Amino acid sequence: MFFTAYERGHPAFLSKIHQKYFCPGSRISFPGKFIKIAGFRLIILSKTIFIMLEAVRLSKTFDKHEALKSLNLKVSPGELFCLLGANGAGKTTTINLFMGFIEPTLGEVKINGLDVTRHAKETKKRLAYIPENLNLYGNLTGMENLQFFAGLGGTPTDKATATQLLTEAGLQKEAVIKRVSQYSKGMRQKVGIAIAKAKNAENLLLDEPTSGLDPEASNDFAQLLMSMRENGVAILMTTHDLFRAKASGTHIGIMKSGELIHTLKSSDISLNELERLYLETMKSTVYA
Amino acid sequence: MLKIIIKKEFLSSVRDVRLQVSAAILLSLMITAVLVGKEGQRQIQKQREAAQSAMYDQWLNQGNKHPHSAAHFGQFAFKPKPILSFLDVGLDHYTGVSVFLEAHKQNEVLFSGAQDSNGMTRFGELTGALIFQLLLPLLIIFLAFNTFTKEREEGTLKMIHAQGLSMRTLLMGKVWGIYLMVLLLFIPIIFLAYLLLDRQSSSLDTEVTVKFLSLTGLYSLYFLLFVMMAVLISGFSKNSGFSLLTLLGIWIVACIILPKATTNFAGKLYPTPSQFEFRQAIKEKVKNGIDGHNPSDARLATLKQQVLDEYGVSTVEELPVNWGGIAMQAGEEYTDDVYDQEFSKIEQIFKQQNRLSEWMGFIDPYLAIRHLSMGLAGTDFNHHVLFARKAENYRRAFVKKMNKDMELNHKPGVAYADYNADKDMWAQVEPFEYHLPDTVSILRDQWRGMAALAFWLIILLIISVKYSNRISGL
Repeated sequence: MFFTAYERGHPAFLSKIHQKYFCPGSRISFPGKFIKIAGFRLIILSKTIFIMLEAVRLSKTFDKHEALKSLNLKVSPGELFCLLGANGAGKTTTINLFMGFIEPTLGEVKINGLDVTRHAKETKKRLAYIPENLNLYGNLTGMENLQFFAGLGGTPTDKATATQLLTEAGLQKEAVIKRVSQYSKGMRQKVGIAIAKAKNAENLLLDEPTSGLDPEASNDFAQLLMSMRENGVAILMTTHDLFRAKASGTHIGIMKSGELIHTLKSSDISLNELERLYLETMKSTVYA
Repeated sequence: MLKIIIKKEFLSSVRDVRLQVSAAILLSLMITAVLVGKEGQRQIQKQREAAQSAMYDQWLNQGNKHPHSAAHFGQFAFKPKPILSFLDVGLDHYTGVSVFLEAHKQNEVLFSGAQDSNGMTRFGELTGALIFQLLLPLLIIFLAFNTFTKEREEGTLKMIHAQGLSMRTLLMGKVWGIYLMVLLLFIPIIFLAYLLLDRQSSSLDTEVTVKFLSLTGLYSLYFLLFVMMAVLISGFSKNSGFSLLTLLGIWIVACIILPKATTNFAGKLYPTPSQFEFRQAIKEKVKNGIDGHNPSDARLATLKQQVLDEYGVSTVEELPVNWGGIAMQAGEEYTDDVYDQEFSKIEQIFKQQNRLSEWMGFIDPYLAIRHLSMGLAGTDFNHHVLFARKAENYRRAFVKKMNKDMELNHKPGVAYADYNADKDMWAQVEPFEYHLPDTVSILRDQWRGMAALAFWLIILLIISVKYSNRISGL
């Protein structure tokens, strides 16, 4: 109900309230519930309605292996939540559950308050996704790939807009019309960002997007994420890169064996402290 | 949404070098088949027309003779080579091209191409039908076997899934994208074939165009079935290897094993007598009937008495008509009955075998399109039977005409050698002509094939609509 209203667009002042008090820099215009009492339009603002990505006691079991154990997680507009953890910690499972690729064994996954399992189509409309290895169609150009995926996402993009999005994502203009088979991994990830931007999604899920990227490409990618975050996009990213998590993330979660052990604000911890905490957590995993 | 997927599928196919090469090979094969086939058809038809005309001239110029001798002199009927037979030679190679028409005897259509060919004929001639029915489906398999599996293996399916697109829409988009590619190969060739018809066939009429369009439509439907099947199998396969193997297996079973097995099974279920048995049965029955040439034949004596009573005379010499002519026609009618019975028996057996094969179209769409294609091209068994019947009716009519002339004009008492008819009499026999049946009657006769294709389309549509969302996006 709330989100239906949200989609329809709202008065400018609501947007101003939202931007001023809740999420500076956010492009999201309507954060509250709309009610009408005695001819007056009232807005009920609540903290809960700002949660874009939410996992509630989320568990996933594959055969007898418990990949995720009662995970609770919330990401609000303009937040970049970095999930750290060793391989097999449950990071990708979490992303896959948010994407609706797999169904939870227990608990709920919500996007914009909608249950992913029950509202698969609706929730996917509000999501953009960049996996570790963004596989695009090699025999299509960067522009054609963008136009294809953006079109499927419900935002048909003309050539000029596609070129603009791709160049904004950091792709050279001449590369835009080259076939993706000639692209480096970094260039592919940039196409991924451009696709996400074209989709104009409020949420972005990234599964180790910077792994295998050279430092410069990784930095470029982080800058792009920052700009999206500043535009109010809620971002959930899994990564092994502590430095990048600290530098780009607003929140950091450390996972081990399917559990979210620590959740902290990026601003509350230094890189060294984060590294120490991470290693301690990992060690405790080993000795557990 | 569909448009976006179709465009992408089409672009991907067009830019695939392996497909470019295989499509180019297939395209050149199709062009060769159409050009060579059309030239072959034109030449054969020309030869048959010339032969038919020469034989009729021979008939007209056989000189003065007794009409019964003329009936024995006989004529030839040549089966015209249908205009569309260049696309599908069908059974033409096996059914013979001409039949000798003479008194007392219904001969078989002889001189089939297979009689003069070596074993290679069994592998089929390079015709449009061979390419459309066997090779194009093979190309479809190579176009579509990995349409889902490759995306799954390369991770692009996950990206598509992430956009919230339903697998049903994706499947439909893929089907139409690949189908468009197939039509892009098929339509120009069929258009070229039509242009060739226009230029080279003097008898091109609406009926041929209707048959041509029907053929085009039915082949297009056949290709759609293969595309749908290939895309569905790719969707439900775990990997490309499994998908390719499954599809090739289906192709081998549907296009090679099942047609052969059906023919063998039909032959076992409805066995045909050997040539010797067939001829022997006719010989036995004819022996027991009226022999117009044998004056001591008992049944002939009964008939003679009936005729004498009818005219109120006591001897054949007193008859106002020639008794020999009546006896000949009576003998002719008896043997006609015998031939009708025996030929209809064997026709019935062949028909049952064909029907079984047509029904098998519900299991194997290749069999359905094969029958439809031959039917519309005018090269199936039904056409052969129609031609043979038409030739036989012609034979009976001209023999009857000869016997009637003998009955009315050969005066009693005049020796056989002393009564002769001339060219005017021969000219009363019109030249033999055979016209193919119209499209409506062909399609009415081939309803099983059309129903089988429709059945397959419905089945595949149901599977696509009902089960496509079970295709894994991961």
